[in-house]
Amino acid sequence: MPLPMSRNIGAELHMPAKPSARQLITAAPKRLLRQSSYWALISGALWPVQAGIIAWVIAQWATGHLGTGAWAAAGAFAALGIGRGWADRMGARRAFAAADQVIAEQRRLLLDRETLRMDGRASSADLAALLSEKLAMVSPYISRYTPAMSRTAVLPTLYLACTFYVSWIAGLILVVAGPLIPVFMALVGMAAKEASERQMAQIGDMNALLIDRIAALPDILLLNAADRSRADFADKAEGLRKRTMAVLRVAFLSSTVLELFAAIGVAMVAVYTGFSLLGEITIGAWATPLTLGEGVFILLLAPEFFQPLRDLASAWHDKASADAVSAELQALEAAETPPVLGHGAPASRLEGPARLEMTGVSLTRGGVSRALPDLAVEPGESVALKGPSGVGKSTMLDLAAGLLRPESGEIRVAGQPLDDETADGWRARLAFVPQSVHVPDVTLRDFLDPHRSGADMTVALARARATGIVDALPEGLETRLGETGAGVSGGEARRLLLARAFLSGAEVILADEPTADLDRATAAEITAALADLRASGCTVIVATHDPVLCAAMDRVVELEGAA
Amino acid sequence: MKRLWVILKLLCSADPWAMGRGAALTVVVLIMGAALLGLSGWFITATGLAGIAGIGIAFDVFRPSAGVRFLALGRAAARYGERLLTHDATLRALASLRITLMRRLELWPMEALRRLRGASALTRITADVDALDGVALRLALPLTAGVITHLVAFGLLAWLVTPLIALSLTAGYLIGGALVLLRVAARTLAPSTRAETAMQALRRGAIGLFRGQREVILQGALPDWRARIDTEEAEARAAHDLLDRIDGGAGFALSSLVALLTALVLGLSGGLIAAGGIDAAQAAIGVFVALALAETVLPLRRGVAEIGRMRDAAARVLADVPDGPAPVAAATRSPDPDPDAGIELCDVTLMRPGRDLPLVEGLSFSVAPGEMLVLSGASGAGKSTLLDALAAVSPIAGGEIRCLGVPLADWPESELRQHLMLLPQRSALLGGSIRDNLALSVGELTDAAAWEVLRAVELERVVADRGGLDAILGEGGAGLSGGEARRLSLARALLRKPNILLLDEPTEGLDPATARAVIQGVRSYLPTAAIIAASHRAAEAESADHHRELNGPRGNSIMNQ
Repeated sequence: MPLPMSRNIGAELHMPAKPSARQLITAAPKRLLRQSSYWALISGALWPVQAGIIAWVIAQWATGHLGTGAWAAAGAFAALGIGRGWADRMGARRAFAAADQVIAEQRRLLLDRETLRMDGRASSADLAALLSEKLAMVSPYISRYTPAMSRTAVLPTLYLACTFYVSWIAGLILVVAGPLIPVFMALVGMAAKEASERQMAQIGDMNALLIDRIAALPDILLLNAADRSRADFADKAEGLRKRTMAVLRVAFLSSTVLELFAAIGVAMVAVYTGFSLLGEITIGAWATPLTLGEGVFILLLAPEFFQPLRDLASAWHDKASADAVSAELQALEAAETPPVLGHGAPASRLEGPARLEMTGVSLTRGGVSRALPDLAVEPGESVALKGPSGVGKSTMLDLAAGLLRPESGEIRVAGQPLDDETADGWRARLAFVPQSVHVPDVTLRDFLDPHRSGADMTVALARARATGIVDALPEGLETRLGETGAGVSGGEARRLLLARAFLSGAEVILADEPTADLDRATAAEITAALADLRASGCTVIVATHDPVLCAAMDRVVELEGAA
Repeated sequence: MKRLWVILKLLCSADPWAMGRGAALTVVVLIMGAALLGLSGWFITATGLAGIAGIGIAFDVFRPSAGVRFLALGRAAARYGERLLTHDATLRALASLRITLMRRLELWPMEALRRLRGASALTRITADVDALDGVALRLALPLTAGVITHLVAFGLLAWLVTPLIALSLTAGYLIGGALVLLRVAARTLAPSTRAETAMQALRRGAIGLFRGQREVILQGALPDWRARIDTEEAEARAAHDLLDRIDGGAGFALSSLVALLTALVLGLSGGLIAAGGIDAAQAAIGVFVALALAETVLPLRRGVAEIGRMRDAAARVLADVPDGPAPVAAATRSPDPDPDAGIELCDVTLMRPGRDLPLVEGLSFSVAPGEMLVLSGASGAGKSTLLDALAAVSPIAGGEIRCLGVPLADWPESELRQHLMLLPQRSALLGGSIRDNLALSVGELTDAAAWEVLRAVELERVVADRGGLDAILGEGGAGLSGGEARRLSLARALLRKPNILLLDEPTEGLDPATARAVIQGVRSYLPTAAIIAASHRAAEAESADHHRELNGPRGNSIMNQ
């Protein structure tokens, strides 16, 4: 997955990062990564052999031997080269498989946890982004950065040993140039970080500018400001470019230092070798003077000595992005949001009369702990919870449905404690009409009958006073609702939910402010539908301010402010 | 593919000179890299030959060794320049691509634009433009630079070594590289579409699940949803796995190509040396350059593997305007408005989008300059739809609306907007200063004018407390409370000084006292405007000269019988 450029730039500027994405790699992917590094080492170890072949061939040419016999050596070189490419591929595939496993595992953990957390969790869009493209950003870290890291740990040492075996001076050149690189990169990286901290503070990212303007486009068009908005964007983008370039001028120095040392290292090895071969430098080799073959051999090793470091440097930003994602995942995991009761899975209806009792229940929300009044509702009874907003009416309904976990006290339903075991079975007997109904992107038929029982909907719709809604939709029951389809208003959605309650034969109806924000006629229809449910034997609990609705219930429970 | 070409031209035309110099330095870096290895190889072999022949003293060591040093330092410097220049060119191109996108979106119907505001639509747009950023940087630039480098290398090798070696390397790399890369491009087209589709489906599924979480848990439908999301997830990973397999295969093919071509040069050179055509040092140039030219093909495969993704992104970014009602105010000739006429509705019928029953039928009223009318009615009764129709944003099904005496259809869009302003219920601010947000309305904005309008919407104190007009707001106006953001959008609307002002719930979220003051402020700021406000609150009702209640759709009234 390509990283947007702005992110690359940002990451370029923050080279020293906390090692945290590493914690995402569990045992199984670690094993794959180990296999991957073995393949990379096999590939790396083949290169000195290939270099030796070239060195031998050139040395033979120089002494006038070996004419057409070079073909055999060339064949060996090609075979080794293909073997090396194969080993690289095996290693890369295993590293990718490791990344794939980590991502699958993290997605599973995230879904397992967050689908059951409801109260005060991160926004749906943020969670979805984390689950999809953000977690995918961990992949290059595992499949590119980690292998580059293990290559850097071994291959330069191997090539250095080969070089030392031939000439200690050439080895010394690499020893000096090699380890100096990280030092200089760190220095430049620090300078870049400082520069970025001074300047990046005001740099908004170009996509944020774009998103802002697209989201505001309807307003911009109404303001007749399209030209002004574009000119303003161009201005800001130009400012962003200038400031970014100012930072990049410093930031790119670190990779230039790397290139420079690599180039100087190779050049010095070449020049040293040339002078030794001419006999002008006689030290450096061990017993005998340096031969042409040996010279070619160490020249071919020199660039490869630096290559793992260069790979590592170009994968730096992968690590930075992965660390950011990992930090986000950890913050989410650490959030103290208890899950709902039960598993949200289908269950057979909990046995027993539809009675609800809440005694001594308290819970903490938004950092404030508070006690809720006791409540007992008999089967078939209808109760209105009344009281000022913020007193905990909605909270009590959520508790009754097992959507919130009480901190203390006991909730009993159908004569049993409401807990992880009973919650799903209890919810199978419930119908819940929330204040704002989320209308999913499905057909009306699937909305009313989510488990596809195929029951006839005419009666249920009529009893919920919802027949007119269906008649007015262009394709009746087959109309798609939700984001991409025909919208239904809040009052319509509540009536459709009541129709579903009739259809499913729910025994307990929980309704949160079912008549709020509605015109009188619609409110009356909803009150009538609730009364109808009550008459058919349902237990009905509503949270409401509406005196008309209160009057239609058997009993009104007044909730006090500081109960 | 034609669309990718359009995008590339667009990216390059932002600043052809910037792109050109970036490309030139890319070539310089590649050539210097190959030259460094070639020269080093030649130097060592030649000195070795000289040493064997015992003519070491006569050998000119200084020019080649200076050349090696120059190429080493020059390559590093050129690489630095290349990175700076290509990033500079890309940043310019990014801005230009995004401006083009905005220009195209401006032609979209309002309904479609409002749908775009969802998080998933916006993420998709950014993902698309990000993918397109790579068309120049990851695809066109390295591809062009690679081909040029090979042509230059051909010339130099033919001159310094022999045309046979030059031809085998250039032909080998160009033909072999092209075959591998074309195959990668062809094979990744379908899987990259698949991967992208699956990722979008995964994101949509997750948003749907998390938004509807309460319902899903209450219905005991979590396992069903999870199974669906897990399927999408597995599909996305399978597609990415396939892409990686193709990518790995291409990497293997390309590194095999390098090994085979180097071997070919080794073998051919042996024959040439035996025949006395070239010496060992010349042959070494060929071998080393063969190895160095790997740099021109190996990095290309990632860019090529993204072609499918880029193609799809280009298709969406350059997509045709989506279907929707034709613009209402689409006249080309300037009308002759009557400033005393206000706004008039004659027998207007409105249909609710997606329904075939009228929402409002036979509605007639007029509002004169200086008067205010309040529209009330239950939610869903058609208040916002009516305001959209009055603002010429959506069409009406029957009747006529006249703005300043001229039917809406006889206005050119931009002239209508000079006289008529709609503040929708959901309006968005921009990140940036408060001044930037206000200046969007009028362009030139004096401090006095800005403070005057902020006073009218009771924001003077709030803005002063935040540090004045240059106080910075976050993305979408973050940092202001809901009520403050609402009033800033209102101020922005007032600055247009429209003859007709249409307000949808202008005081929502304000306490009654502030709401009253704001409505008073609006009326005294625009004493001669005809104002229509949809509202159910007392502040508007008290100040209004006229009232109109909408009774809702026929669907309701039928059921009431």
